[in-house]
Amino acid sequence: MRPEPRETPDAEAGSALVEMIGLTREREHGGTGFRLRVPRFEVRPGEFVALVGDSGSGKSTLLDMLALVLRPTAAERFRVRLGNESTDVMALWQQGREGRLARLRRERLGYVLQTGGLLPFLTVRGNLALPLKMNGRYGEEPAIASAAERMGIGRLLDRHPHRLSGGERQRVAVLRALLHRPALVLADEPTAAVDKTRARAVVADFRSVAQVLGTAIVMVTHDLDLVRDVADRTYRCTLGASSPSLVESVCGPA
Amino acid sequence: MSARVVRLVPGLAMADLRHEWILTLCLVIAVAAVVAPLLILQGLKHGTVATLRDRLVQDPVFREVRPTQTREYAPEWLERLGADRGVGFLLPTILPASSILGVLHPRTGKLQTLDLIPSAPGDPLLLENGGVVPGEGEAVLTAAAAAQLEARVGDRLEVRATRTRGGVAEHGAATLRVAAVLDPRAGTLPRVYAPLGFVLDVEAYKEGQAIAARGWAGEVPRPAPTYDGVLVLLEAALEPVARSGLVVNTGLGNVEDLDAAAVRGRFGWDLPAGWQAYRLTAPGGAVGAATLEALRRKLRGQGAILLPEVETRELGLRGLPAPAVGLSLTPEQAGRLGIPAPPWGGLDATGDGARLRQAWLSPENADGQGPGLELAARGVAEVRFPVRVTGTGPATGRAYLPAELLGVLRTGLQRPIAFDGEGFTVARGGYRGFRLYARAIDDVPELVQRLASEGVEVSARVDDIRRIQVLDRGLARLFWLVASLGVAGGAAVLVASLYAAVQRKRRDLAILRLVGLTRPDVFFFPVYQGSALAGMGLVLALAAYGGLARLINHAFSADLDLGQRICALPAATLYGAAAAVLAVAAASSLLAAWEATRIDPAEAIREE
Repeated sequence: MRPEPRETPDAEAGSALVEMIGLTREREHGGTGFRLRVPRFEVRPGEFVALVGDSGSGKSTLLDMLALVLRPTAAERFRVRLGNESTDVMALWQQGREGRLARLRRERLGYVLQTGGLLPFLTVRGNLALPLKMNGRYGEEPAIASAAERMGIGRLLDRHPHRLSGGERQRVAVLRALLHRPALVLADEPTAAVDKTRARAVVADFRSVAQVLGTAIVMVTHDLDLVRDVADRTYRCTLGASSPSLVESVCGPA
Repeated sequence: MSARVVRLVPGLAMADLRHEWILTLCLVIAVAAVVAPLLILQGLKHGTVATLRDRLVQDPVFREVRPTQTREYAPEWLERLGADRGVGFLLPTILPASSILGVLHPRTGKLQTLDLIPSAPGDPLLLENGGVVPGEGEAVLTAAAAAQLEARVGDRLEVRATRTRGGVAEHGAATLRVAAVLDPRAGTLPRVYAPLGFVLDVEAYKEGQAIAARGWAGEVPRPAPTYDGVLVLLEAALEPVARSGLVVNTGLGNVEDLDAAAVRGRFGWDLPAGWQAYRLTAPGGAVGAATLEALRRKLRGQGAILLPEVETRELGLRGLPAPAVGLSLTPEQAGRLGIPAPPWGGLDATGDGARLRQAWLSPENADGQGPGLELAARGVAEVRFPVRVTGTGPATGRAYLPAELLGVLRTGLQRPIAFDGEGFTVARGGYRGFRLYARAIDDVPELVQRLASEGVEVSARVDDIRRIQVLDRGLARLFWLVASLGVAGGAAVLVASLYAAVQRKRRDLAILRLVGLTRPDVFFFPVYQGSALAGMGLVLALAAYGGLARLINHAFSADLDLGQRICALPAATLYGAAAAVLAVAAASSLLAAWEATRIDPAEAIREE
């Protein structure tokens, strides 16, 4: 299942799933300020976007903002087109409409966290069904078994997450992130807990399933080798000290 | 917060409890360990008090309110008392002295003197002690009375009401069938219960009246005249010894000499020269026919004239044109005194009828008067009657009346009399006592208070009732003290556990937030868990309570009547306890719930 290299479509800005222009996020920590600057960042439908950088370079902060759980300090433009309509995320934050953001997360986003982010008190089946249930899509639950079969985790359905291996857990997490057909899946170092070979397998699975479903992926990783061949687009966050009291990181195309 | 997400939260909360089932079990046991002892404690309190109350409630003695003084209770007063909400049964009774009844059992030959007590339908003492309410011709015996007579239900008893009239012993007899014999609990005294009508007849018979319906002879109840004192007029003064002798064995207690002015002041005329007047009074107040007779015998042969007198001011007499004076003299007596003889003649101890209702006016008052006067006297109840003016008396400015008439009116001050066209009759006065049972024991203290406020001294088993009320209140306070301690401890355990659980599950809750749960959604996560823990703890506690209560009741069953339980809770208390436990649990989860809402979904991503 080798991914095809894809051309970056140069369509008009309005067709982007996520579009950030002139976004900053600042925080103060122990007398030292940290500023993340994103001059331009976009994700288009079905794209595999890699986000690389050293640790502490702010790539996870950028992912939080993409996940709609962290409020940017300022942004010229921060819109998402996750459904049929374009949404001004910055405006929602400014208006404090957290319920609307939660609904966007629930309906349009999927997540794969470092160690999966599965709920320990639910079985694999329960974890996989959760996003479907939250969106009221009970009719699709029977599809879980066949989807799990395809991912090679069909026999694990009735186990609790703590009885799975790291790789199995990540595959469950990947499936859970995709099952409710979100427009965008965010993955935060999803291969950190597995060895290189398995990591490549997880990324390959991820890529192929997303491609079938037409889901865009933003994957944060510190390992550029892992994604070089599959990424449609790569951004890199680079640290640079602008002054003794302020650390600045800029995320831009690699 | 979308509806379908809201529906998911309880399931997720329960899945979490199930996953950590050991911790869950510990908390359920902790809740049950607080609730079960409280249920047992409350059950014991309720059961004990209920059993004690049961015992009181079952024995009508504890509902009885007894008057401690013998006095007159007006029928209207009794009627008003009977209308009190707290009164369950009220029946007038008679004078204790009139209630002695001779009872003969023809089969065993036993003769006993028993106390006669009235009864009426609804009598709790009889009905709740294995008896029935006696009908006409029936009697109910106490256990002691039945034992003394060796009588059984169905036996016929001959009863005798006895009296002495004119020095002759008389009796009225009746046959009563034994309708029931009471449980010994109803009292240890030998008593016979009969319908109120029969008992009132016995009382009336003992007072000398005839009871035609029972074939008991006697008088129509005419009021006997009574007087405040008696004047003795003699042609010569008595020797000191004879003078003192007037009060010996006559029922009189005091002698005083009256001078001429005093006699004139009373009657309007002077005594002939040499005559002496004495005024005799009784220490108890009233002078009756027996006293006058004794005095008459003592003075036999001395030509004494007896003039009984009444304080006319007390009578409230209206309708006479002049102050009234009682004067009954034979023509012979009048002649010796040198005054005209009154047309009604001399003193007649038992006299009644038309002879009494005459008046003799002095000439200046007689002018313009018709032949009849309509008089009224105050009395216990006002009495109106006519008198004929039968002559003109001495010109003294007084209205002379038969002394006996004033005597009857004086009697009317003590008990109600009426005029029936032929003569004065004694109306049924008040009753001399009553039998009162409160509706419920809790009504007794209030009834006692009401009666005391009306000046009626009563005795009741208020102390027993108060003791239970005090015990109830004391135990209730104790329970709340223990309960508040226990509930505080239980709530603290829940607060700490639920809060700790939220802290432990920050990442899980953050993931839930990340995948789309809102803050209000996760708020209910610990609330559902707390309520579920409390619910399960409650079920466990109820099971433990049920088992232990059964055990306790079994252990005490020997000392309890059928149906009594030493540990019992009414359904309402159980519902209340369940609601309280759930409410406390929900309240205990609020801190954890608040903490849950503060979890940032970004915490899920930032795992390190």
